[in-house]
Amino acid sequence: MKRAYLELKKLTKSFGKGQDMVVAVDAIDLDVQEGELVTLLGPSGCGKTTTLRMIAGFHTPTSGDVLIDGVAVNEIPPNKRPTAMVFQNYALFPHMTVFENIAYGLRIRRESDEQVKEKVGRIMNLIGLEGLADRQPRQLSGGQQQRVSLARAMVMEPKVLLFDEPLSNLDAKLRVSTRLEIRKLQQRLGITSVYVTHDQEEAMTLSDKVVIMDRGKIQQIGSPVEIYSHPANRFVAGFMGKANFLEATVKELGESEVVLEYCGKTITAPRWDKSIKTGDEATIVVRPESVFLDPPREDLIEGTVVNSVYFGSQMLYEVEMPDGKLLQAEIADPQDHLLFAKGHSVGLSFKSRSLHVLAKE
Amino acid sequence: MKQHSKSRIQQINEIKKLIREPFLFISILVIFYLLIVFVIFPIFQVFKTSFMVDGHFTLKNYRDVLRQSYYIRPLFNSILLGVLVATIGTFVGFVFAYAITRTPMRGKGIFRLIATFPMVSPPFVVALACILLFGRAGIFAGLLGNIYGLTGLTIVETIAYAPTAFLALIGVLQAIDPSLEEAAMDCGASRGKVFSTIILPLALPGIVSAWLLVFIQSLADFGTPMILSGNYQVLSVQAYLQITGMFDLARGSTLAILLLLPTVIAFYLQKYLLSKKSYVTVTGKPTSATIKNLEWYIKYPVYAMCLIFAFIVLLFYGMVVWGSFQKLWGVDSTLTLRNYVQMWKIGKKYIKDSLLLSFIVTPITGVLGMFIAYLISRKQFVGRNLMEFSSMLTFAVPGTVVGIGYILAFNNPSFFMPVTLTGTSIIIIALLIFRNLPVGIRNGVAAIEQIDPSIEEASIDLGADSGVTFRKVTLPMITPAFFSGLANCFVRSMTAISAIIFVVSGRWNFITVAVLGFVDNSQYAQAAAMSLLLISIVLLALGVIQIITNRLGKGMQSFSIIEQ
Repeated sequence: MKRAYLELKKLTKSFGKGQDMVVAVDAIDLDVQEGELVTLLGPSGCGKTTTLRMIAGFHTPTSGDVLIDGVAVNEIPPNKRPTAMVFQNYALFPHMTVFENIAYGLRIRRESDEQVKEKVGRIMNLIGLEGLADRQPRQLSGGQQQRVSLARAMVMEPKVLLFDEPLSNLDAKLRVSTRLEIRKLQQRLGITSVYVTHDQEEAMTLSDKVVIMDRGKIQQIGSPVEIYSHPANRFVAGFMGKANFLEATVKELGESEVVLEYCGKTITAPRWDKSIKTGDEATIVVRPESVFLDPPREDLIEGTVVNSVYFGSQMLYEVEMPDGKLLQAEIADPQDHLLFAKGHSVGLSFKSRSLHVLAKE
Repeated sequence: MKQHSKSRIQQINEIKKLIREPFLFISILVIFYLLIVFVIFPIFQVFKTSFMVDGHFTLKNYRDVLRQSYYIRPLFNSILLGVLVATIGTFVGFVFAYAITRTPMRGKGIFRLIATFPMVSPPFVVALACILLFGRAGIFAGLLGNIYGLTGLTIVETIAYAPTAFLALIGVLQAIDPSLEEAAMDCGASRGKVFSTIILPLALPGIVSAWLLVFIQSLADFGTPMILSGNYQVLSVQAYLQITGMFDLARGSTLAILLLLPTVIAFYLQKYLLSKKSYVTVTGKPTSATIKNLEWYIKYPVYAMCLIFAFIVLLFYGMVVWGSFQKLWGVDSTLTLRNYVQMWKIGKKYIKDSLLLSFIVTPITGVLGMFIAYLISRKQFVGRNLMEFSSMLTFAVPGTVVGIGYILAFNNPSFFMPVTLTGTSIIIIALLIFRNLPVGIRNGVAAIEQIDPSIEEASIDLGADSGVTFRKVTLPMITPAFFSGLANCFVRSMTAISAIIFVVSGRWNFITVAVLGFVDNSQYAQAAAMSLLLISIVLLALGVIQIITNRLGKGMQSFSIIEQ
């Protein structure tokens, strides 16, 4: 098997001492292949930024190793590492022009004037900054500043490109278009990248691989599809997209399916977790878009609509279940369905293949 | 032409509007009268006197002064001293500010306290300590050669004014986003390169501005050279001696103007630098400072310098404490309280006068400053800019010039002031009010501008009338600034010397003048005892006001009481 390009081995970072010690990153292992874009996704305080900063060299690991292209870089200071970072607030040098900003690292490397000019010009064309070379950063729009920051990192031809929530200061529309551009550029140039974000949509649309983190630990690593359809635990299921959790009991185990009992009714779901046994308590993850609503019927689970919101392209329901919990349901193309109002009794069923069963945690 | 007439109409409208608000109109008139009498008129008098010989306009005084090396030397001396103090002081201040904002140094709070402590004591206390340490009977007598002169002045004024540079620079360095440094390092720059290509260029306007501030303070300092200058003559002291020793008002005024010019130039240069849109505005969200893995060859020299400076400050002030308990400095080191008894016997009246006058001055200055701040920032009226300019004027003018101006203006009745004020308490009170007013105004403007008008609108929208709004919303928001203005004013009043020394009299005197008197008589121990009493009073007042501000200022932007 091909050796990973960037490896994190039992990487740990703790702050403070004794009683006040906080373990920000707790012995994480991660392999990133050459040319891959890997996203670290998680709520604030989950350790994703600390991890990124350890890769960049701004934090020294408490223990564990960072290896880039097979070389341990723990002892290498950030200015000697083959990494380049795109900062959340862009961190453009306000006293330098756009050109000088992008050329900064090359000049530090003492590259010749022609080389600097050639490289900076090329990257500016590539990123769409033509004609802005002599501007001051404060004369640029947020999106342009973001591009300069990206150009400044890319022009160094780093072995690993690091992104620290680079889009969080842009408005929603610009965020969508910029992330597509970043992805295209990254794929075209084949730069190995680590991208930190707390936005699950951003992570899903950008990444080859998503790493979900919580409280300093990796919860799951996988492609966006894997993570969405087969979350490893409740945290991942709830963080990546919306999810309802139904507490059920396992009744029968088939070769590729599980039959569960929920409030006196049976639900069939695909069998992924082989550790589940008959009689176990289990949690069924139900995505809101996998719910069907019909008029009440003997074979359906009965619920009561407590809220309904019309979005045009979809209808959002909140339904009270027999066990008293609330369930969210999204019905696409509501014009084609029977609509229910607050107080109506409904019968619920689920798209079997979209369900996911978790062992009781 | 057309535009001109248009602005005329505008002006007339503004006047009409004012007349409709009689209280406002009258108070603006009164304020203008006071500013003319107590700010502009005295300074004008200094100019006038310097251009007069026997009632005729002439440049003779300037020609004389410039021709005779005896008079021109103090100008060069003052400037040389200012340049030395500003350069060393800014350097020390920068190192301190760098240590506090950019290193993981331990005990930052204590270092900060020590570094700002000289600001609450009059600078001549440091001069006194310098004599106790290095003077003829000092512990280290002869170590630095003759302490009376440039060496002593430079050391003392550096200790006294480096804090000014420190406070200015700490703001500058804090405003530089640490992620810029990280970005530069990420691009391959070493720590040294980051400093020379990022921090230094970004901080440069702030550094120059701090330098100018210290330069101005050194130039205007009177107490230190009065005690320590020896044969090294400086302008502030020479102007004073010309007037009180030789009764040569014209020559004294001329020297005062020579002192005024570089100070005012430096002041406006500094203001210009600050007003220019600085680079230090960041886009996006500033990240928290991350000071990690600083190389030892940066860390240790910086720490060492901070330690040394802190040690020097402690040594100097410690010496004053130690000296105040000794029977006879350098001769008999038996511990005694006699100095305090003696100091109290002689100094009781000085202390009472100082306290009484400062207690009168402080609230008046506070209210007046807040009111002018309100007028300047929330009202439109003819002469608004003039009001702002003249009320801030005493900030730039050295105390010596103001003191001479007050003598010239109020020794005799005049058109503006039909009675003689010299020798009364009024002249001292007026001088202190108008010397300290700029601080109150600046505090007030900052506080008022911090209040978004929509906050007041919100209150009115919720049913409160404008009176209730002022009481419940505006007032609580400006109260912390008001009290910090009071604290500032009190400290500045109690420690004032350069202008006060011209207007004190047998009837009304001042504690700082008494300390200088003790030093003049070589009664160093009594001088030390009185200095300590003065510092204690100031600290006590600061403490009380800090407690009040903390009580009132819950959840409000905190105002630091000590500022330059």
